[in-house]
This record gives sequence, structure tokens and C-alpha cells, in this order.
Amino acid sequence: MSKIMTVDILSSIKGAQPSESVNQLFEVIKNAHPSNENSLNNVNHNCVSVGDLREDVVVESSAIEKEIIIENFPNKKNGFLVVAKVIEG
Amino acid sequence: MDSQIKKIHQQLVSKQISCTALVQEKLDLLKQNTYNSVNSVLDTLALELAAKVDAKIANGETIGLLEGIPFGIKDVYMVQGTYTTASSELLRNYKSPYTATAIQKLLDAGAIPLVKENCDSFGHGSSSENTIFGAVKNAVNPELVGGGSSGGSAVNVAKDYTVFSIGGDTGGSIRQPAGYNHIYGLKPTYGRISRYGLMAYASSTDCVGPLAKSIEDIRIVLNVMSGKDPKDQTSIVSDEITEEAIATSSIKTVGYFKNFIESEAINPKIKADFLATIEKIKAKGIEVKELDFFKSDILVSTYYTLAMAETASNLSRLDGTNYGNRIEGDNLIDSYAVTRSENFSEETKRRIVGGNQVLSQGFSDEIYLKGLALRDQISENFSEDFKEADVILSPVTPSTPPKIGDSLKDPLAMYLSDAYTVGFSLGQLPTLTVPQGTTTGLQITAAKNNDELVMQFANFLKDTI
Repeated sequence: MSKIMTVDILSSIKGAQPSESVNQLFEVIKNAHPSNENSLNNVNHNCVSVGDLREDVVVESSAIEKEIIIENFPNKKNGFLVVAKVIEG
Repeated sequence: MDSQIKKIHQQLVSKQISCTALVQEKLDLLKQNTYNSVNSVLDTLALELAAKVDAKIANGETIGLLEGIPFGIKDVYMVQGTYTTASSELLRNYKSPYTATAIQKLLDAGAIPLVKENCDSFGHGSSSENTIFGAVKNAVNPELVGGGSSGGSAVNVAKDYTVFSIGGDTGGSIRQPAGYNHIYGLKPTYGRISRYGLMAYASSTDCVGPLAKSIEDIRIVLNVMSGKDPKDQTSIVSDEITEEAIATSSIKTVGYFKNFIESEAINPKIKADFLATIEKIKAKGIEVKELDFFKSDILVSTYYTLAMAETASNLSRLDGTNYGNRIEGDNLIDSYAVTRSENFSEETKRRIVGGNQVLSQGFSDEIYLKGLALRDQISENFSEDFKEADVILSPVTPSTPPKIGDSLKDPLAMYLSDAYTVGFSLGQLPTLTVPQGTTTGLQITAAKNNDELVMQFANFLKDTI
């Protein structure tokens, strides 16, 4: 089953369209000839070794942090945080 | 110019000025300014902190070098309890629940945050016109753009509204506005400063960095912010850079990319001034080498392909569910689509859509993976270059700052104007803009982790040209 997703769906932006200016940048890449087409990412090593991971612990947020997170919530009603309708009636 | 930080420190210690008076003066300047460099002023916090510094001095206590020094923060950094808008409609009323590591280190050192500074929305732009707070005006000529994306930060430093400011540089966003406003701006080696609490644009090139009026102030602020941070696993351990280490230059060979200078796109005056600088460097007995590099269109296209892919991913979290200006639609999916459509700027949408294009099936091999391969080649090219030269010198921009309004009309021209800055971002190299050599300054670049060499050569140029 093949389903083509348009850029507005992929981007979750209503009415979004590809841009001619951006497509011109992509054309340059399409026509480029890298000496090795398979990136080995052998220059910029940004991955972290497993021996150097941070501790896997739960850190309790401070009271002020929790307060601001709630303050930032877009929609509240009768003391509840209201989310967009997920299950259709 | 000498260190403003040291000068103010002396004035505070000797009680020539009070910290409260200093902070109040800067706050007044920021509030009255007509350059659109300010998104919000942190007056209550700043004055509280200034009073504490004054009390310490009055009690005869010793204060640190950064204690009481007023600074600005690009409005993409989390500072607990302050509005952090990214100059976007979506986050117009968003408050930071926590503080970015780099900013926390400055606060711990006693520096005083005055202002969240205007910038291109989410860092998407090269002119600081892509913002809900009005286009940032150039400090030298207000009819021109302030540059971007850290335009407000550069203008505030240039106008002395802040002693230093903290910008963010993904493809030139510190270096280009520094050049446009005739100040210093450093993009350190990638990872030297933690990105924790910086709103992510393109995570593989995002860098935190200072803008200031002297090399010494850049050095002081860089040292305070640097260091490995468990909250950013790409951050690295680095050594402190001492004043003595950058006082005299050990640089024997300088390289420059001849295709940057031979390009048809470069302004003739910038070209002539750059070549005149090269002659002055040669006259000091330094060997100068012409180097080969990738064409500008390849550099710009590689950078934007990867940056758009990363920003499409990073900004997918902004859907109005937990924070941001949610607009209710007919259902959940519709709410996401309407919220993002109505609240993102045209430029941000252009980049998100571009990113999703290159990451989608059928395109990723042809564009995204090829972009990654090109990036590898660019980085390998740099590795070879630094066998030939200690530092690379480049103009910051091919052209002078455009008039306000012109960049928005032609996105492709704006992307291409980043031709001289994006390559060093892809290579994750330390690069400093100095306000000398051409009308938009010069960039000094060294190999990874050689930030010290960059500042050494900047000191040399200060005395040479």
C-alpha cells in the first residue's frame, strides 16, 4: 500500500508548499559529485560513547519550574489542563 | 579597544560608579532605543542583582571580574522566569521554566542580565528582519539591516547598551552581525560551550558565543561559559585560555580561499581591502598561502540542506499542545496544522517544509545523504588546509549590509550571502569576526579546539592593520 504524503501533512502546516528558492538549493546538491556518496561521518564525531553517558536518574523539577510549566499551558478550564480533542465523538 | 569588563570592574571596586547606577543607565538606554534590538528588558531582576553587588562592595567584600557587569542575551536562551520568544508569534508569551547552562555560568560569576535581544525567529535569517518585534536596525547606519540572526545582540554591544552579549551561531549568526556592526563576535569550536537551554535550530552546528568590543572581553566570557556539561552530551572538555597565551602570535602561515576572493559575487571594495590586508600580513614576514575550496553554491546548499532537515525535526515539537499560542482546530491534527501555519513566519515555514522534503522517502538519498557526504568532504578539506596553514583568513560577507526590506524579497540571495560563514559551521571550527580589514570585518578560523590561536591572531591583526 503506497500513500503519498504531501509537504503540508509532513510538516503539520496547513497549506504549506515547497519553495522555489529552496528547490534551487536542492538542485545544486543533486548535481554535485561527492567523492564518496556514502557519508561515513568520519570527520565530525559528535556521538557519545556508552562509557560516557550521563547518569540515568530522575531529577525532580523545582517548584518554580513546575509552576512555570503550568503557567505556559495554553488552555485551562476549572483547574484542568485542556488538550486538543484526541478521540472523535 | 581595551577590555570594557576590566575597566568597569575597576570603576566598581574603586567606587567611582555604583552597580545600580550603571545598570539603571544601561536599562534606560535599552528602553529608549530606536534600533528594535530589545524583545524584553529584565529590569526588576537586573536592579535586584545590582543592589547585591553594591552591598558587597560597601561591606568591603571582594568581587569577581564579571560581578556587576551588565550583559544581553539573544532571545533564544532559557532564563528561568523570563519571556523566551525566539522572536516568534508562537512563543510570544512563553516563559522559560529553567536556565541555559551557558547563561547560568555567567549568572554564577555575577554578571547581570539586562535584556532578551531581538533576532531572526528561531535563528532563521541573516538580517534580523524575520521577527515579530520589528527589523533590527544597523548600529552604524539605521537604514541598513543589523544582520542576523543575532542582530539585536550585535547592535546592543555596538551601541554600548550592553557590555557584552551572548548570541547563537548556526551558519554565521554571530559572525555576520558582528561584522555588520563593527564589533568582535566568536563562534567557538562546536561543543566548547554547552547548548543546553539554547532553542535548537540545527543541532549539529548550533554554537553559543560572545559578542563584545574587545578580544580580551571575548576571552573572559568564553572562559566562563566553556566546559563539559552532562546536560549536553556533545559538549567537550577544554582548557582555559589565558591572557598571556594570546598576547603574542605564534602564527607563521596564513591561508585564504582564493575562490572566495575571485568570486564574481564579492563587492570590489571588500575584495580590494581584503587583498590589501593580505599584503600587510606578508609585510610582517608571515607566509600567506592561497587555498582551494568548495564553490559557494555547494557550501550554501550543503549547509541549508542539513540545517533545514535538522530544524524540521527540532521544531516539530512546537505544536501548541503543552506551550505556545495554540489555535484550536476541528480535531487534533487540524489543531497542530493551524497552530503552526498561523504562528510560524514565512521563512520558518520555508525551512521546515524544505527540511521535510529532503528527509522524505525518495529524496533523502538524492539530497540529504549526499549533503552529509559533502559535509564530510568539506571537513576533510579543512583538515588538509590546516596542515598547510595555522589559520585561515576570510572576509565575513561578500557584500555590505542590505537595506531593510531587501532580504525578505529574495530568500535565495539571502541564503547565498552566507557563503563565507557556513563552511566553517559545517566544519565545526572556531571562527572569530574582527572589526578590521574590510567594511564587514574579517574572519579568523583555526583547526578544531584551537580557539586560542584564533584570538592570538586577532591580537596580532589589531596591532598590524
